Amino acid sequence: MHPRSTTMQALLAITALAWAGPSHGQPAPATAAKHPIPQALKFEHAEDAERLALLAKRPGAVGAAARKAIPLFQRHAAREAEFIMAPLALLPDLADGKVTPDMAWAVADADRVKAERERIFQEHTEVTDALNALISAAERAHDQDAKEFAEAAAADSLNDVEILEPMVLVIGDYLRGKLPAAH
Amino acid sequence: MTKRFLSVGVAGLMLAVLPVLLTPAAAADPAAGKSVFSSTCAICHSIQAGQNKIGPSLFGVVGRETGSEPGYTYSSANMNAHLTWDAATLDKYLEAPRATIPNTKMTYGGLKDADKRANLIAFLATLK
Repeated sequence: MHPRSTTMQALLAITALAWAGPSHGQPAPATAAKHPIPQALKFEHAEDAERLALLAKRPGAVGAAARKAIPLFQRHAAREAEFIMAPLALLPDLADGKVTPDMAWAVADADRVKAERERIFQEHTEVTDALNALISAAERAHDQDAKEFAEAAAADSLNDVEILEPMVLVIGDYLRGKLPAAH
Repeated sequence: MTKRFLSVGVAGLMLAVLPVLLTPAAAADPAAGKSVFSSTCAICHSIQAGQNKIGPSLFGVVGRETGSEPGYTYSSANMNAHLTWDAATLDKYLEAPRATIPNTKMTYGGLKDADKRANLIAFLATLK
């Protein structure tokens, strides 16, 4: 996993993972993103999903820990895809000073992130627990690949908490202030 | 008479010492705490001095103030908590981080087992 990748990536990754591994994962989430998410995140999530899917297929404690992590990642990834990540796709336009009325949906998404912030944080803690279990199993099995995945996913989780989720709130506030002028 | 005083004295001494023996700190096992650290903390925290990872280095954490490890970017919540990481504060925080320091960014739900917390704190206390 790339160090810059976000928790979201790992989470979405898990989603893809779950899709890829029907024998181990949950059914794919029914929630479809209403708006596109940044391609970079989508790509990284796919990579992460693939890695977790591979870990889940391993025998022993590492595979078991990875399989337990899947539904947690999947749940969080579904939430991220539904309303957390899409506003981030507006950043390039916003950075160029472009604000258009059709961006108003992002305000609602940001408000939802704000309202559900503690719940989202709680999900991060559950993911951390799962990653702790994975890394413990990886160390016992001398599985460096699994250990690296768990460490990177934990870093992604902090990335979400420190940067991405606050950024969505900032986007919402920014649009709220700018949109009346855009009408 | 002397025997009686001696017995009373011994009994008194036992009564005085017993509560200390029964406290979690007295029963804490740093070696067991190291195991707890490895399984629940090491993914984010180093025990090497000055080596910050996702979380700050825990070398020397016992006795230092919240938000004070050089080179680590803390949440404003931890920066402004102005707590000292003594055994009691660590115990409370480790049990429920977000309840103890609201808005801390540590994505850990808490260590609910009091014995494990005591062992972990005993281990952290050795990191000097």
